[in-house]
Amino acid sequence: MSQADDEARDRARTARAPTGTATGPRSRRDKTTDLETAVAAYVTDGASIAFGGMGGRDPEAAAREIVRQEVSGLAVLDDARTTLFDIMVGAGCVDEYVGSWVGTSLISQGFNVRRAVEDGIPHHLAMRDVSNFGASLLFLAGAMDVPFVPTRSMVGTDVPTHNPDIEVIEDPLGSGDDLALVPAAQPDVAVIHVQRADPMGNAQIWGNVVNDHLKARAADQVVVTCEEVVPTETIRQHPEVTRIPGYAVDAVVEVPFGSHPWHCYGYYYADLPFYREYGQQSRDREDFLAWADEWILPHDEYLENIGADRLATLEEMEAQLNDVPPVVGGTADQRDDGDRGAAREGGR
Amino acid sequence: MSDDHAAGHSTGDAAVTEADAIEYPVAVERPHEPAEDYSLTELLAVTAAKEIADGELAFIGVGMSLISGVLAKHTHAPDCQLVTESGYVGACPPGVVQSISDTVLGVDALVATNQLQIFTDNQRGLFDVGIIGAGQIDRYGNTNSTVVTGDDGTYERPKVRLPGAGGSTDIMTSCGRSIVMMRQQRRAFTTELDYRTAPGHLDGGDARDDAGFPGDGPAAVITDMAVFRFDDDGEMVLSATHPGVDVDEVREAVQWDLQVSDDVATTSVPTRGEIATLRTIDPTDTVLRGSDYVYEVGFDEWSERVMEHWKTLQDQ
Repeated sequence: MSQADDEARDRARTARAPTGTATGPRSRRDKTTDLETAVAAYVTDGASIAFGGMGGRDPEAAAREIVRQEVSGLAVLDDARTTLFDIMVGAGCVDEYVGSWVGTSLISQGFNVRRAVEDGIPHHLAMRDVSNFGASLLFLAGAMDVPFVPTRSMVGTDVPTHNPDIEVIEDPLGSGDDLALVPAAQPDVAVIHVQRADPMGNAQIWGNVVNDHLKARAADQVVVTCEEVVPTETIRQHPEVTRIPGYAVDAVVEVPFGSHPWHCYGYYYADLPFYREYGQQSRDREDFLAWADEWILPHDEYLENIGADRLATLEEMEAQLNDVPPVVGGTADQRDDGDRGAAREGGR
Repeated sequence: MSDDHAAGHSTGDAAVTEADAIEYPVAVERPHEPAEDYSLTELLAVTAAKEIADGELAFIGVGMSLISGVLAKHTHAPDCQLVTESGYVGACPPGVVQSISDTVLGVDALVATNQLQIFTDNQRGLFDVGIIGAGQIDRYGNTNSTVVTGDDGTYERPKVRLPGAGGSTDIMTSCGRSIVMMRQQRRAFTTELDYRTAPGHLDGGDARDDAGFPGDGPAAVITDMAVFRFDDDGEMVLSATHPGVDVDEVREAVQWDLQVSDDVATTSVPTRGEIATLRTIDPTDTVLRGSDYVYEVGFDEWSERVMEHWKTLQDQ
């Protein structure tokens, strides 16, 4: 283990020690803040970081804020990453990636990722590949606080050949099977976007969860961005969808449309034309920089430029597919009337 | 209909014999007759869809494999359950799946869980068939979707950085059987992979058994020219060519001395019903033609068309 790893572990122990106390950093207090403050406080130069979602419910607004604040030297420990990662790589924020897949989904390969890995533009991106199961297990081991967990995944492949952190051993208990050991990932910070959270950080996810419940436990510090901050009473009505407990969370930020241009289950559909345009413009370095000039903005300005009508259409599209129970009580009763867009405009 | 499924491969045969009974979700004249107009990509999607038998648990990824899965669900295999690594099982998506957490996968889903659970279930051997894509493949069906190193590249600084493993490593390790979909190119059908991302039949013979893998490995490779199966030693065998493609053309597009079945079949032409259904699933050519159509039509027309086509399939 390197000195950096030792330091990271010390930080983790320090960060976690007071969790259960009445006044500790993760105590039952109001953790709400704004996006700019949260990113400045938790996403520092050289940090290791994981992001939630996966081609859906990605924390895109938070990533744009990371780019806007010109954070550098990030090590992204993650699973499959799409536009958010490609943008950060193109902007020069990322030095290293450990994970299973990078692209921009159907639209293209990740052109910024390719330029960084193949040609060192804007600088070289070091890649350490794992399988998708391997990515889940990085965070399971991290969440369990054990050095590794074993799997059959990646045996018989070149993944362990080129990723020195993955070791293949023969089962020490005698089955004779080869097993790959996946080391724990405990990133400095995880940034996860969810549908709703209360001010303490009890975070509810509708639809698929990907690896977010594990990342939240594995990371030393956790920033939850959400479509809506709701009263704790609302959380209590559906405790079965609280995937991330408040005791794992350090900051809560209300970021409506925080996953745009991706989907947020029950809230809005993906803006395919927007991210296809990103795919086109990221093909060329100069065009990407022009794209970044246009779209790397404070989130409220970004949404203004997307336009309220377009956002309302994305809500209408998702309403044709999926819904989540309306918020009862608090400030968002209006959602009961079915006009979500209007309710959320009013709530802002 | 099709005789491209060699005897002994029961997967698609059930669908083949019941083809005339398929009820397509889209109104089209003479739905069971061959389509007059279809693209190679559409043929590929239809051919792959037939690998999924009704009632099976089918593990699928983004792009072509998902559109094939969605097509199977809406045509010959209404009781198959689509499994995606992001956490959805059993959905009936009313349209093309653009990304692995696309919320269309929430529609009528049976399960919305997490990735760890899906891959744990996969490693336990609970899924019947998986479909993956790849950049390179060798004669034993091992695949590469990580790096093309070329002559002087390395893993660290490759000639082409591909997206990476995604779910392909785990599908090929643990699914009951695996289907590989890819473009047929000589440089891709290689004697030596630049990187082995997903295990096929390894070095052939009993290698998979010796490795203790839960799944049986690749059962078919479907390209824009042909369909390949595997012999008892785990080596690829040309099983069928698509209409208008001859065996020598396929041989030319493979680096090794390709084994060819004694009775190479011709892939059946998709039916009018299949093509109409496929185009309803993907009304803006997101996958099928890989075109810039979405970019050209603009947001309003895109959203209107997508919602209208979703409704067609949701009303079924």
